[in-house]
Amino acid sequence: MKDAIGFAFLGMGAGGFIALMATGLVVAFKGSGVINFSHGAVAMYAAFTYNYLRLDGTIRLPLIDILPTHQANIPVRISLASGGPVDKWLAIVISLLMSVLIGAGMHYLVFKPLRNAAPLGKVIGAIGVMLYLQGIALVNFGAENPQPESILFPGDVFTNFLGFGKPLPFESLALAVVAALVGLLLWFNYKFTRFGLATRAAAGNEKGAVLLGYSPERLALSNWVIAAVTAGVAGVFVGSITGALNVVKFTTLIVPALGAALIGSLSSVPIAIAGGIGIGMLQTVVATWMTGQSWFPQWLQSGATDAIPLVIIVLVLFLRGKALPVRGNIQEKRLPLSPYPKRIGWYVAVFVPLGAILAFGLPGDFIFAGLSGKWGFAFTTTLIGAMLMLSYVLLAGYVGQISMVQLSIAGVAAFFMARMTANGTPTPEDPFAVSGPGLAWPIAAILGIIVAVAVGIILGIPALRIRGVQLAVVTIAAAVALQTLYFDNSKLTNLMAGSNAAVPSPTFFGIDIGSTGSAGLTDSPKFALFCVIMLAIMCTIVSNLRRGSTGRRFLAVRANERAAASAGVDVPRTKLLAFGLASALAGMAGVMTAFQQQQISSANWVYFAGLVTLAFAYLGGITSVSGAVIGGVLTGSGLVAVFGAHQSEGLHSYTPVLGGVGMILTAILHPSGQSMLYQPIVQYFGNWLKRARGREWAGVGRRLGPFIVIGLVWGAIGINPWRTDDWSRPWMMALGAFLALFIRNLVILIRSGGHRELGAAEATQEAAA
Amino acid sequence: MSSLLQTHDLTVSYGGLHANSNVNIKAEKGKLTGLIGPNGAGKTTFIDAITGFTNISSGRAEFNGADMAGVTPAARAKAGLVRTFQSLELFEDLTVWDNLIVMAEETKWWSFLADIVKPNRTLGVEEQAEWALNLLGLGEFRDRLTLDLSHGQRKLVSVARSLAASPKLLLLDEPAAGLDTVESQQLGSHLREILNHDITIFLIDHDMGLVLSVCDYIYVLDFGKIIAEGTPEEVRNNPEVIKAYLGESAGEMQASEGDAAARALKGEG
Repeated sequence: MKDAIGFAFLGMGAGGFIALMATGLVVAFKGSGVINFSHGAVAMYAAFTYNYLRLDGTIRLPLIDILPTHQANIPVRISLASGGPVDKWLAIVISLLMSVLIGAGMHYLVFKPLRNAAPLGKVIGAIGVMLYLQGIALVNFGAENPQPESILFPGDVFTNFLGFGKPLPFESLALAVVAALVGLLLWFNYKFTRFGLATRAAAGNEKGAVLLGYSPERLALSNWVIAAVTAGVAGVFVGSITGALNVVKFTTLIVPALGAALIGSLSSVPIAIAGGIGIGMLQTVVATWMTGQSWFPQWLQSGATDAIPLVIIVLVLFLRGKALPVRGNIQEKRLPLSPYPKRIGWYVAVFVPLGAILAFGLPGDFIFAGLSGKWGFAFTTTLIGAMLMLSYVLLAGYVGQISMVQLSIAGVAAFFMARMTANGTPTPEDPFAVSGPGLAWPIAAILGIIVAVAVGIILGIPALRIRGVQLAVVTIAAAVALQTLYFDNSKLTNLMAGSNAAVPSPTFFGIDIGSTGSAGLTDSPKFALFCVIMLAIMCTIVSNLRRGSTGRRFLAVRANERAAASAGVDVPRTKLLAFGLASALAGMAGVMTAFQQQQISSANWVYFAGLVTLAFAYLGGITSVSGAVIGGVLTGSGLVAVFGAHQSEGLHSYTPVLGGVGMILTAILHPSGQSMLYQPIVQYFGNWLKRARGREWAGVGRRLGPFIVIGLVWGAIGINPWRTDDWSRPWMMALGAFLALFIRNLVILIRSGGHRELGAAEATQEAAA
Repeated sequence: MSSLLQTHDLTVSYGGLHANSNVNIKAEKGKLTGLIGPNGAGKTTFIDAITGFTNISSGRAEFNGADMAGVTPAARAKAGLVRTFQSLELFEDLTVWDNLIVMAEETKWWSFLADIVKPNRTLGVEEQAEWALNLLGLGEFRDRLTLDLSHGQRKLVSVARSLAASPKLLLLDEPAAGLDTVESQQLGSHLREILNHDITIFLIDHDMGLVLSVCDYIYVLDFGKIIAEGTPEEVRNNPEVIKAYLGESAGEMQASEGDAAARALKGEG
């Protein structure tokens, strides 16, 4: 017992960090009702800023230079001390000012425009900020993972802290004290100042605060800045406590911080501070002492620490049920409408053959020989991404349950299938073969999906009492816990540390439909066709569910749980059904990912990749099947990403940044997602094509022809900085023509006042001519 | 006399506050029973308690002879105890027609599997939904989203939706709130027509005019207690009721003036 207490004190440093992060989460929630999933990324940026100021004396602004010229540039790096380190205290001040900048930017550019968005829209905004900051950090600081400098009493250690026989670095105690001081300051601020009173009034009722003469927006700005500064303090002062810096680490540590913030009901700073320090100490005791005890179950050893926040979060939220703060916003917005799917058979009849052509090429390889190499891989990645997004469409789009754990559930299916196909026979390629029953792939795949459904339903139980963005917090904690409890747990996977689980190649009546193509690359057209057919089946299933009684009940629950219950809809059963079905879809996506990758590791299912998938599903259109397919096309390593990277080598490193910006813009400008954006355009041009005769075509030629010619020439000469080798020249000409038309339309749109439809603007121009 | 709904000393407390205390009411089969009371009297709490949306602190509610304790709201609805909400609570993303169908259809645990194969099954409830839609004159709005309708139309949709469930007892929570005089009168005549289709109605409202004109029997609730009950004529002339509605001084008015007072108060929010 004495040991346990000694170890608990060791956890004070980590606890102090968690407490500081929790404080920032509480402040941001008080100020604007957002659970800020990007909080860790803000801390990360401040930590990198501090450490690079101390390394080479440069400030790196959280921007990219978007001007494609070498002469005119947007400044990104500012050198202060010509290569040498900056003074410690100056560096701290600059890093915290950087946090102020980021906090203000988040308010003005993201959360102020999103203040009336549906809860999911705000979540997507936060994920967008997270992606943006991580992407920018990768560009600005490179992929290096420096050891952060300790600011608080570096090197000093209590050799025998309070007589419990354990040495304790001064730094750990000091960080806990810093957390307590910050907490005290903020507590005082919210309790006794006019600003605090106004914030509390606005959190209770925004309208009331307006009537009292306070500006909720200015309050939100102040609170965002305070939240960002606490993140900055956490990032700068954490020193060596959490180990080497990298762009994602603090984002992972957001989960225990969320637990601490929820203990304080997202409103009490002192309780959040105490809870954070407590969680840090508890985790350290479990990690260092409890897992070493003989009574501790072996299979739990790897994941116990990460399961603590999950257990705390579920308990706190479940017991409080509805009691958590629900902010009274001026206007509560709903998720976008979910369109009724039509002509499903027609879509299948067009897209399956189209998919087959993309996979195999035209007969006799006439003009087009099929997608191969990286294109083939991007194609199957797109198809599998769409499968996973269908699971989000069903769960979040139809039933309104924000789950961030779907990718991890896909991982459960994949890992379980891999284990079921293993037979423990070592081979030269795989000398440490995993033991297992050695089942055939279809049986193993079905078992994997069944286990995924079981896990999904269990994770759905909290949803019976926890709603909206709080459910998102539970699922994010569950995703982190699954990672260490299952994927990284050698007791369950039987994998050697660091090795991957092998997945056999699937066969269909003797034909190899695995992903390995003829040249040894993962681009087999047969596998692509397998994916196309699976996706078509899954899209049909989801569409049919939406069209039938199940879909009506799903949407009824999404719209109004009380009214659904009064309509005789069993709300808990409907939710669990949705979790089960969504998990089956995710499980299928996981199985297909396993076949595509041929060997899987826990890195395939990291929880923040799951966040990004949710965000891409939202980007595509979270409420429709077509949105899932578009989301798949946009997804990381999908067709659009690979095309972009191919056409412009420099663009590749900006993919996460552009993804983040795209998410924020979609959440603000077009919450129904891209698919709804294209629908009217396709309809407009479809109707035009039906009506158009020679005269109309000639008119278009006169209007657009010159621009197309200019664009073609521009593309042929080369669009700086886009690449222009021989292969891509025809593509570049097409791109040039497209860009020329785009710029032309943009100019017309701006000249017509920006509010008119494109069609109307053209009609005006025609009338003038 | 057979009563479809009966409460026995029904009490609902929030902390020390008794929102309903010892409420005893009966809704006779085939009749239109009314419950009136000023704002904050506990009317909605009462409807929440008998439909299972609020826990009963003591006493019990019997529907169709069965104690409703421990029965979920969804199961009560399926048993024929169907309610509307004061705040409408329509399914705004569904069409008017789908709003009715959700209410009407009976699903089994395997329905989702059937949907995957054949989504457009109607489960034989179209007739009931069609009837409800036409009864309230909503035929032309069939394929519109409820989002696009006017407030009065949405009120009617909420009544039609409840009727689609083939209720035994229809509990209407302030259906006249926000309606103008003409719409309110139309609603009254719709209610009388519904009664002819073997559906019992329990109407909750604070619109004296509507309640006095359509109900067969009326209970008056104030501060969570039943202060009066009887036929419209009896309630109209009850000095306690006038006092609750107009305050002490008005209570001194002659009983014969109560009628005029009630008319003057019609639509009082």
